[in-house]
Amino acid sequence: MRVALFTTCLAEALAPRALKATVLVLEHVGVRPELPTAQTCCGQPMLSNGLPADAAALARRMAEIFAPYDAVVTPSGSCCSVVREKYAGLFDEGSADRAAVDALAAKTFELVEFLETHRHGATAPFLARACCGDVRELPDMAQCCGFGGMFSTQFPEVSTALGEEKLAHVASTGAATLVASDTGCAAHLAGLAHRKGVPLRVISPAEALAESLGLLERQA
Amino acid sequence: MNPLIAPPLPFDMKPRAREAVRDLKLQQFVGNATHLKDTQRGGIFGRDFGSDYDDLRTVARDTKQYALDHLDELLERFIASAEASGAKVHAAATADEACAVALKIAREHAAKSCVKSKSMVTEEIGLLPAFEAAGIQTLETDLGEFILQIDGDAPSHIVTPMIHKDRVATAKSFVRELGARYTEDPTELTMIAREHMRGLYRAADLGVSGANFLLADEGSAVICTNEGNFDLSVGGPPVHIVFVGIEKLIRGARDLAPFLKLLARSGTAQPLTVYTSFVRGPRRAGEHGGPKEVHFVLVDAGRVGVLASEKRDLLRCIRCGACLNACPVYRKVGGHSYGSMYAGPIGAVLTPELERAQGNASAGLANYPDLPRASSLCGACYEACPVKIDIPKFLMHDRARLRERGLSPKSEGATLVLWRWLAERPALFRMAIGAVRLHARMLGQKEKTKDGERAWLKSAPGPGAGWTATRDLGIATGESFRDWFAQRDTKGGSR
Repeated sequence: MRVALFTTCLAEALAPRALKATVLVLEHVGVRPELPTAQTCCGQPMLSNGLPADAAALARRMAEIFAPYDAVVTPSGSCCSVVREKYAGLFDEGSADRAAVDALAAKTFELVEFLETHRHGATAPFLARACCGDVRELPDMAQCCGFGGMFSTQFPEVSTALGEEKLAHVASTGAATLVASDTGCAAHLAGLAHRKGVPLRVISPAEALAESLGLLERQA
Repeated sequence: MNPLIAPPLPFDMKPRAREAVRDLKLQQFVGNATHLKDTQRGGIFGRDFGSDYDDLRTVARDTKQYALDHLDELLERFIASAEASGAKVHAAATADEACAVALKIAREHAAKSCVKSKSMVTEEIGLLPAFEAAGIQTLETDLGEFILQIDGDAPSHIVTPMIHKDRVATAKSFVRELGARYTEDPTELTMIAREHMRGLYRAADLGVSGANFLLADEGSAVICTNEGNFDLSVGGPPVHIVFVGIEKLIRGARDLAPFLKLLARSGTAQPLTVYTSFVRGPRRAGEHGGPKEVHFVLVDAGRVGVLASEKRDLLRCIRCGACLNACPVYRKVGGHSYGSMYAGPIGAVLTPELERAQGNASAGLANYPDLPRASSLCGACYEACPVKIDIPKFLMHDRARLRERGLSPKSEGATLVLWRWLAERPALFRMAIGAVRLHARMLGQKEKTKDGERAWLKSAPGPGAGWTATRDLGIATGESFRDWFAQRDTKGGSR
């Protein structure tokens, strides 16, 4: 089985440690991921901001770049969902492009999901150990943190207010570390906490797993 | 019309949104109420339908879609059945026509006073201002709408119109406008309103309502309320007018059940509204109650145009308000930030679309350029929708139309096109990422952790400025992932 890493441009710029952790965790369960070097951006910013033709051009690239692989794994949730749920809408049914992006969608997974479906049935215990066995449930977990891509700069006050509410929920749990499965959301919350001087560590599930497995040094 | 829901166009949402976010009372009232309703909604559907909930939504979606696909046929059937029951049916192509029909009926009866139950379509067509101008005193009988009316305020939520106010404000208004004694007790407040209204119900010349559903087979309208105010507004006055958008048609009572199951649960987490009332034709010989005349005003006001567009799904909306309660943005900005009687996610797509479809094709989005952008696209609205309207899809669709018509910020568009251009050139793209990291390393506040180095930007240039207005931007400045990966490959390392 050939597994490709879908790094995402945001993680390459902001969160290389999440990518390293992804590689280490995959190797730990016996998967040796490859890095297709031509990959760049999945097109989400264009897709979400009224440039579907530009997004389609990047979707085509993605399908081509990842065509040789059996599975595509990424640590970033929203980029994964774009490939899986949004690419199809960019192309006419029955077209060659549509078939290509459908094939890509069928083999693309967020890391934790990949581990659960393909490799290691039990990631939850890893996550639990990653946080010293003390995983706290976040109140109102399903509410959006307010990142929303360019929404965060188009409506900064609203985006920030939502982020502050999320941080208040985090604070109410007493947790010192927040595990967030999207690079953008993580950057939004970490950046907000940093500006406010709130000590909060925001990491990806990949890092939490790698730390719990002793593959990555736990941050002080 | 009230500028809160009919603002000068083009409408600029941002100042209202900014103000709302800073309004602590609004944050508290709207935040608490929406969270509560949204949580209760999830609870009651889970309890009552479990895993069948999704099937129920699918049935409702398909039933409503069927009705929309056969609207001409259903309209004919409705008109025939309603007329057979003695009701008069009027078709109004525009808001003005709908008001004109009502004014004509009022004149025929020399009506001076009107009792009205809650109706979004009458807000849409501006019925109250039209009545006021004609000297017809109109009383809103829904408690929330009544309070808004005496305050000169406007609804900010489809189902709970005064979600942005509390009982303290209500108590003050009742003292000021009704000469009541000051009380914050909800029951007492309700009694004060009831006492004020009861006599007016009996004295009114005209009753006006909206409708939740129109039954084509039966020629009836179905009205769901919690206060019984519809029943009083139809029971007292000699003439009753039902205003209803043509999209409210379904085949008949045979199709009603799924909608009744969904409407109250989605809106207020009740199994049913307290009253589910049917109105069909005027009082018949031998009957003691009911109006002597019943009129149905079937309102188009853009709906036919929506039906012919890519956004026809929007007409499935049953105005339950679940998407408002679920929406993180609505929770923060409140209803008046949307500049329309239709707020929240559904309003953000419906308001410009209705305007476009009313023959103002060049306006539409041009008059509401912020609405499609005021969403984090989190998808909570779609998940909450009982008739499965894919609202995020339509928001994205509108963002594309904004871009095509040059109504989005140009610099933002240029940045995105440059980004795409770079993304097709991997070497340049990697250099761009490297440049961002370099920029951070040179100008950011450096921090060393066991993870490696990170720099925090306190103020970023260009499109990043919106980010750093309230947040720092943390950028990893140590070894890049690609370098790390390549080194491991050459060294063999643990691989």
